[in-house]
Amino acid sequence: MKQLIDGYNKSQNKYQVQQTVLQWGVPFYTKVRTSTSVGQAPDLISFHLSRISGWAPENLLRPITTQELASVGLKQADFFPRLWQAAGYQGKTYAIPLDTHPLVMYYNKDLAGKAGLLDANGKLKSINSVADLTAAFKAVKDKTGQAGLAFENGPNSYMSWRLWLSMINQEGGKIIQNNKIVAGEPGKRALQAMVDWMKNGYMLKNTDYPTSVAQFTTGKAAFMLNGVWEVPAMADGRAKKTINFDYGVAPLPKFYASQDMWADSHGFAIPNNAKKPIASDHLAGVLDFVAYVQKNSMVWAQGGHIPAYLPTVNSSAYKALKPNSDYATVAAQNVAFDPPGWYSGAAGPLEASAAKYFPAAIQGQLPIDRAISMFEAEANKLMSGKPRP
Amino acid sequence: MRKTVAVRDLAVSKKAGRPRKSANFTAILMLAPFLLAYLLFFIFPTLRAVQLSLTDSTLTETGPFVGLANYVQLLGDADFWAALRNTGFFALLTVIPTTLVGLVMALAVHRLVRAKNFVQALFFLPFVLPVSVVTLLWQWILNSSFGIVHALTGSTTSWFGELATAMPTVAVVTIWWTVGFNMLLFIAGLQNISKETYEAASLDGAQGIQVFRYITWPLLWPITTLVLTLQLISSLKIFTQMYLLTGGGPFNSTRVMLQYMYDTAFQNLSGGYASTIAVAFFLIILLVSLVQAALLSRRR
Repeated sequence: MKQLIDGYNKSQNKYQVQQTVLQWGVPFYTKVRTSTSVGQAPDLISFHLSRISGWAPENLLRPITTQELASVGLKQADFFPRLWQAAGYQGKTYAIPLDTHPLVMYYNKDLAGKAGLLDANGKLKSINSVADLTAAFKAVKDKTGQAGLAFENGPNSYMSWRLWLSMINQEGGKIIQNNKIVAGEPGKRALQAMVDWMKNGYMLKNTDYPTSVAQFTTGKAAFMLNGVWEVPAMADGRAKKTINFDYGVAPLPKFYASQDMWADSHGFAIPNNAKKPIASDHLAGVLDFVAYVQKNSMVWAQGGHIPAYLPTVNSSAYKALKPNSDYATVAAQNVAFDPPGWYSGAAGPLEASAAKYFPAAIQGQLPIDRAISMFEAEANKLMSGKPRP
Repeated sequence: MRKTVAVRDLAVSKKAGRPRKSANFTAILMLAPFLLAYLLFFIFPTLRAVQLSLTDSTLTETGPFVGLANYVQLLGDADFWAALRNTGFFALLTVIPTTLVGLVMALAVHRLVRAKNFVQALFFLPFVLPVSVVTLLWQWILNSSFGIVHALTGSTTSWFGELATAMPTVAVVTIWWTVGFNMLLFIAGLQNISKETYEAASLDGAQGIQVFRYITWPLLWPITTLVLTLQLISSLKIFTQMYLLTGGGPFNSTRVMLQYMYDTAFQNLSGGYASTIAVAFFLIILLVSLVQAALLSRRR
């Protein structure tokens, strides 16, 4: 992003963009929320689209009109439909999607090869069910002695929520209806799969995030389920030869009826500063900058994120960008966001609650039924609270 | 022990040539910045929290007045009581141990002649580290797959992630981090015990443990009560270490009061209810420290 901002500032001398970086998650959203309510928010923020449904009804974001977008040459048709949809709320657009970052499957070609999981072209043979994936982990363990899966599963980790949501969506299940958890049997099955992988020794216990990445990059696990944001680290590691094996990145497998995979997206949003609407020259600058970023989103794509802007994804330059183009289109067409609601979305309280109980079940600290019922109880208590505001 | 009150200063102001009024004015002027900051950043927010605790507010908007509804809800809130129990458990694990360890370290350092300052600095060192450094350090040391402890012992225990070990491990880290300060207080206390007292004791034939039992320990008691009280208050207010090391997990078993308050306000966006928790907890700390102070001072 810094590269894009520097590039923009150099490309013209009408506007100057200044960047402030805040810590991911709760601290970021709290700061934006409080600064907006006192009228001190910045002109433009980057924002997880999964939180639009919580923020839009609170009037914390300024809707962006079709005309305003058109004034800088942007239109709905330029973006992946699911992302555009996620950026809107009740017919208004509250953000301009920048990218999507889904859950994908990294694989170590050396280990997968030894376990007989690659086809003649060195690509991963298709995996079409939970059983297929489990069998692949077993093959790795039996034939190479290494772990099948590197997967963040320590206390308060979010990865199990992401996979859980993906699997329920693939089954056509629902997580929330009328402010109540309704994940039921698909929810249990999804958690059961993760618990079994741990029980059978296919993944390491108590892996925190950096450990899970280290496990994969040091060749101690054949697969890693993680977001696309690790792609640059992988590419960098290969270039510097700190990663000593060939790797591939595939979309999350199709376990059930669809190939839905958890994702979130960054978008650009304009905070609705209390009593101090953005000045028209600032608005023009903001839109001009956003358009610049979209048109130069090849730079952003190198971060592993899939650009939301179709002209970039369809370009030949992007098609040549490996491994990104291997997963981009399938992933972006199948993204599944957190369920809508004020409690939902990136680092929202619903995710935080799941992150308490799911990893505990995976570690064997809680039986599956107990973990699910504790999560349901906490989530239902949360959601039954008055919608805020 | 009897208190000796210094009476000398009382006469001074009359002798001074300037009228009393202007002396008062100077005093007020010099106090003003502190007083202002105190009113603005302590008294005002406290009163505001009490007021907010009676409303249904979000994080950024003051909501309608709801009377004592939040307090009624609090009484039946299992999460509140669980957080209170966890906080109490943490205080139990830290208050007396860290006081004792501080005392032992102070006694050991105080006996040293040559390397005294060096050892003292060494023991004090962890205290100067910011909490983020301390927690990172211990996360590395105790990492169950890549940590030093794992490498040395082969243990795959997730120290911060298991029900049995999470709270005690945070307690140990906290003691390691903060005990240096208690040590300094005790050393200061030890230095205030005059040599003559010890000489008199040794003339009377007191030796080793007797000296400690009858001289050092009673004369250090005021410092000990101070350390215990400060320690109790800071242990009850634990937040950062817990937030960074366990995040309140596994499944809320180490979620302490301040984190529950934080979750309620900043994650669940419920400012009114979070204020209720804050006010209730403020009263609890006040009560506990008053009781403790009363119990400890009876021995004097």
